[in-house]
Amino acid sequence: MEKNLDFNAPHSMGTTIIGVTYNGGVVLGADSRTSTGIYVANRASDKITQLTDNVYVCRSGSAADSQIVSDYVRYFLHQHTIQLGQPATVKVAANLVRLLAYNNKNMLQTGLIVGGWDKYDGGKIYGIPLGGTLIEQPFAIGGSGSSYLYGFFDQAWREGMTKDEAEQLVVKAVSLAIARDGASGGVVRTVIINSEGVTRNFYPGDKLPLWHEELEPQNSLLDIWGTPAASPEPMRE
Amino acid sequence: MSIFEYNGSALVAMVGKNCFAIAADRRLGVQLQTIATDFQRIYKMHDRLFIGLSGLATDAQTLYQRLVFRHKLYQLREERDMKPETFANLVSAILYEKRFGPYFCQPVIAGLSDEDKPFICTMDSIGAKELAKDFVVAGTASESLYGACEAMYKPDLEPEELFETISQALLASVDRDCLSGWGGHVYLVTPTEIKERILKGRMD
Amino acid sequence: MTKSTIELPPKGGFSFDLCKRNEMLFKKGVQPPSFRKTGTTIVGLIFQEGVVLGADTRATEGPIVADKNCEKIHYMAPNIYCCGAGTAADTEAVTDMVSSQLKLHRYHTGRESRVVTALTLLKSHLFNYQGYVSAALVLGGVDVTGPHLHTIYPHGSTDTLPFATMGSGSLAAMSVFESKYREGLTREEGINLVCEAISSGIFNDLGSGSNVDVCVITKGNVEYLRNHVLPNPRTYTSAKGYSFPKPTEVLMTKVIKLKEKVEVIEGGDAMEE
Repeated sequence: MEKNLDFNAPHSMGTTIIGVTYNGGVVLGADSRTSTGIYVANRASDKITQLTDNVYVCRSGSAADSQIVSDYVRYFLHQHTIQLGQPATVKVAANLVRLLAYNNKNMLQTGLIVGGWDKYDGGKIYGIPLGGTLIEQPFAIGGSGSSYLYGFFDQAWREGMTKDEAEQLVVKAVSLAIARDGASGGVVRTVIINSEGVTRNFYPGDKLPLWHEELEPQNSLLDIWGTPAASPEPMRE
Repeated sequence: MSIFEYNGSALVAMVGKNCFAIAADRRLGVQLQTIATDFQRIYKMHDRLFIGLSGLATDAQTLYQRLVFRHKLYQLREERDMKPETFANLVSAILYEKRFGPYFCQPVIAGLSDEDKPFICTMDSIGAKELAKDFVVAGTASESLYGACEAMYKPDLEPEELFETISQALLASVDRDCLSGWGGHVYLVTPTEIKERILKGRMD
Repeated sequence: MTKSTIELPPKGGFSFDLCKRNEMLFKKGVQPPSFRKTGTTIVGLIFQEGVVLGADTRATEGPIVADKNCEKIHYMAPNIYCCGAGTAADTEAVTDMVSSQLKLHRYHTGRESRVVTALTLLKSHLFNYQGYVSAALVLGGVDVTGPHLHTIYPHGSTDTLPFATMGSGSLAAMSVFESKYREGLTREEGINLVCEAISSGIFNDLGSGSNVDVCVITKGNVEYLRNHVLPNPRTYTSAKGYSFPKPTEVLMTKVIKLKEKVEVIEGGDAMEE
């Protein structure tokens, strides 16, 4: 067998996830690849999961663990919203994620980025990495693809960006990470949250910008090999 | 060594026309040393239902005792015998209960339903049922039994033909397995009678 | 209170009382047993009006073919079915358990089961056992919210997809889906594509084999096509059977005559005082 082609290996999302604040809200972004070892189990997954109307979470690490954590948090937030009679804040959501991630840190292999908008604090991004720490950040990056992005974000992120600038930054960053990180790929998904509500966007893999030495998208390998459409040259000795 | 090879065993059940046969070898060993040559591996649950237990003999006997207990509770409560399908589900449930610390036993179940329809079934040690229409095998000689039965079996055999087929398949197979043999034990069950036969086999 | 001396039938759950002994045996160098696996090709896809599920029919135990025609498409609810790959006992047990929970839930609510309910019940069971219950499932069904297809992995993660494959033959089957699947397939096209995907598993993956089972679920209707395609018929049987030149030597025969079954005839005159 090919190395690491183990279908019993837990599903992991070698991922690129991003959360960015801008002037008036937040933009969340993620790639769409879920893999088991070297097999791409899902090439169009949605790693930006809804928690409440105004709070979303980007998931990375073990797919099972991050799903169970976000399922529980969604359940708790629904209860909380009913008891409170008004939408939960981003801070409450992030704290619930932290609580589960910290209390079960020995069982869980997942890093999450919580982002959303509420009327008290406006747009907020919280990172909850492996151990269960909670960090409020102007922007957060996570997953295996994030190592390729730290320098880029230090250079490209500015305070007080517009919505479009922020979204363009996120799409550019995810496509950069997809180009370099083998565990990230597929399409780019973004979620924009502000006082107006939520907008979801989708950027197909063949419409993303091409970076250094990247090839044009092809429908068939034959398009790369044979330039003339005519029959291939006969074989000679 | 696999734990299933500790005592050695060969088990097979076949379906005929309105009848079935279940057969086993007679050896009980401790690895390569033979302890007994008249060992009972097939147990009667009631007149039309038999179970053979291959694998580790100590687990086979424990499991048999639990099955008898559960079957008797059922008889008391329901005032009737268990159907073969029900019994197979019971065995499966008891085995799966110990999913993470199993009995080292592979059962073979054979029975006649109330409508005289034969039923045979085998399981792995954690209760994954395999319902077959023709024959089922288990034990250390299972590989040879698969081959022998695959070649010798044909559908709708009359009782005596079925007896001859199952006996020949069993003896041929155990002759190629060091850990089982020393004759055979066959139960041939028809709607009217049970024929129990002891077969002569190689004693080496 | 005195503790009961007899062991009563358990109420459910696993029992771990043989684990210590078994571990002792394994430490002494005895190999742990191998279980019956369904090294499998299972697939599912969404078409115009519903969902098609497909599976091969081979069960293996190591390199041995344990069952040449087993059923891998399990019943969950009248409108939901589920293909199983992995350890045979686990797929069977987990689908049976959830299907009974769904039935109770239907009695409780008086409504048709939803696919997401089955999905949640399955994933929470599998997540609880952290991948030790090794069942990989393709769950499909049509409910009040339309057709749904999901995959569930042994560790409890789930995906929602328009077409899905699982098991050791999943790569072979996925290559067929990736090249030929499109949105809005007709029923006929859907069944044919599923058969083609399963066949590519049967012929290119050693863990899969024998026949193709198909299950078509549409709104208010289920068609379970057991052995829809039989690409591997048996070719080597002789109709005469096998003749044995020398009969087996019988040392002892014991015949037990069975009692005639007593027929209870209902009716008759009522008893009077």
